[in-house]
Amino acid sequence: MSLLSILGVFSSAIFSGTSLLYTTLGETIHQRSGIVNLGLEGIMLISASAGFATTSVTGNPYLGVIVAMVTGGIVNMILGFLVITRRANQLASGLALMFFGFGVSAFIGKPYVGAKIIPLPRITLPGLDNLPLLYSSLLKFDILIYMAVPLAFLVWWLLFRTRWGLGLRAVGESADTAFASGRNPFLIRYQALFLGGMLAGLGAAHLSIAYTMSWSEYMTAGRGFIAVALVIFSKWHPIRAIVGALLFSGAVAFQLLLQSSGVQISPFLLDTIPYILTLIVLIAWGGTRKHAAPASLGRIYQGSE
Amino acid sequence: MKAKSIFTILATLMATMLILVACAQTEATPEVTKAPEVEPTTAPTEEEEEETCLIIGALHGGPITDAGYNQAMHESIMEIKANIPCVEIIEAENVPEEAGATTTMENMIQQGAEMIIATAFNHQYPALTLAGQNPDVIFEHAGGWEMSENFANFFGEPPDTWYIMGVAAGLMTETDKLGFVAAFPLGWTNTFINAYSLGAQSVNPDVETIVAFTFGWGDSAKEADATNSLINQGVDVITMHVDSPATVLGTAESRGAYTIGFQSVEAQQFAPEYWISGIGYTLGGKLTWLASTVIDGSWTPIFLRCGIADGCMEMAPFGKNVPQDVQDQVLQVKADVEAGDIVVFTGPVVDQDGNVVVADGEVLSVDLMSSVDWFVKGVTGSPK
Repeated sequence: MSLLSILGVFSSAIFSGTSLLYTTLGETIHQRSGIVNLGLEGIMLISASAGFATTSVTGNPYLGVIVAMVTGGIVNMILGFLVITRRANQLASGLALMFFGFGVSAFIGKPYVGAKIIPLPRITLPGLDNLPLLYSSLLKFDILIYMAVPLAFLVWWLLFRTRWGLGLRAVGESADTAFASGRNPFLIRYQALFLGGMLAGLGAAHLSIAYTMSWSEYMTAGRGFIAVALVIFSKWHPIRAIVGALLFSGAVAFQLLLQSSGVQISPFLLDTIPYILTLIVLIAWGGTRKHAAPASLGRIYQGSE
Repeated sequence: MKAKSIFTILATLMATMLILVACAQTEATPEVTKAPEVEPTTAPTEEEEEETCLIIGALHGGPITDAGYNQAMHESIMEIKANIPCVEIIEAENVPEEAGATTTMENMIQQGAEMIIATAFNHQYPALTLAGQNPDVIFEHAGGWEMSENFANFFGEPPDTWYIMGVAAGLMTETDKLGFVAAFPLGWTNTFINAYSLGAQSVNPDVETIVAFTFGWGDSAKEADATNSLINQGVDVITMHVDSPATVLGTAESRGAYTIGFQSVEAQQFAPEYWISGIGYTLGGKLTWLASTVIDGSWTPIFLRCGIADGCMEMAPFGKNVPQDVQDQVLQVKADVEAGDIVVFTGPVVDQDGNVVVADGEVLSVDLMSSVDWFVKGVTGSPK
């Protein structure tokens, strides 16, 4: 294993971890407000296909990113209507949204399967551009990658340093108490879903427009669910989500490296490394009082009248 | 309250819509659609008035616009219509699971299809079961091994062409490392990798082929990861055996690595700069012949295997950075393969551990190729 291959694992972790990070941040906001959104997979698929289609038609990847982001927010409003206004079960509604997303994204993306797009341009950091192409192409990232970590800090600041974030977390802990102190739990949860949906849309946009530069049916391949797991992994904290996303995608890249470096272990087993690693970390960290889930997570707010 | 009941109705409607669309994924997508009237060169009005001589039902596992396997199969089937205008084709795409395949094929038979062409790997057993229930319908499946009175398999013979591609890759590589992104360690995939490797070694004895499996026919993000991982290990020629070449070739292009395409000869568009060459299925001619034997009643179940010499596989044009002497050498090998002077798996063939898997003087039979679970010496990766 050369320096390049080890550097490559980091590079791959950053590339494929970005979409996971955005989606995990989105789900963190959902869950902090008390909503478990299992429909992320569907939202990501719809956003990825809508963004890819827009990019393919207009030739403008930035427009594609914006469309994907807004689509994510809007699709999440369906879930909002079901679980907030109509007080439907969150888990069932989320799963229905996921299947909805499978169908809709296949429909939107169908004419664009195999289309060639102008991807989001990759920018080299100054000083790195005189390295050989093999190295510099590793460290050439697109704008969504550079934005990801600052955005995680922004989400942290929003949740933990603003009045709005305090209200959102209060709704997640006890909607009744939040209502009593003058907050509107319905409105706050809608806002949380819209914002989180936009973040998931950004993640999806990175997947289809920047990283793979293609659309194929069910291309998220479970990333929406991994994001839900990563929220628990990062204990509902946006900064720890950075570590979670990098660790998971780093493990994927590492097992691919192992496979191709001649280790005589079945590739079927190597493919499970990232999931086993997630399990081990979950077991090792355990649950503490301080880092417990929001108290009202998954509970339906019936209104306080 | 009035408002409340309106909301209840709204919510019910929305829930119904969600469920309906969800079902659409499994039921509506394989909806049988009539093939569009293609090929402006054919079908003048008088021929359209001619009576339909055969209805063919064709189904694919993925979308027919994927610039990959499904598109290649679709175009081959459409060629039947171009050659025999009185044939009518009912085509369905995006039929991933076996259950969906069964209903789709039943539907086609109800519409009068007398010949079914199933191109997806996992549709073999649903088709075989239906063949037992519908003795009057002829079933042809791509790339399988089963056979019955009215069920047979056809396939292009990619190993020969993979050997030729290996020669091209072996001549082009500067680092002596070739990368192969594959979906699953299946028998045929392993055979392709072996043939590719042997081809490369025939012109460049030091060459090493490194394999990475993604465990999905369409997990594009992992395909990009795998491609990058291979390039980071010094690989400078990338090829693949997944459904669509788009992501692998596009990623390699952005990293400045040469590429060789597979599945459809259209793959070149994803790698304009670093394209070497590629191979794709062009089964139209043989499928036309099969359909004609169904029409005149002479069809018998055979394993139809046909290679590049029979026109079932085609080589894509060379890329702009391939030197003339490399092109000449590759075309010479192609001519030798077509003439039968080069037979790919002629013994002795030695596997990774040094065991002789094909003895001296013997040739690996086509039947065994579908169950190969070893890699030849010079391949890095685990085949099972």
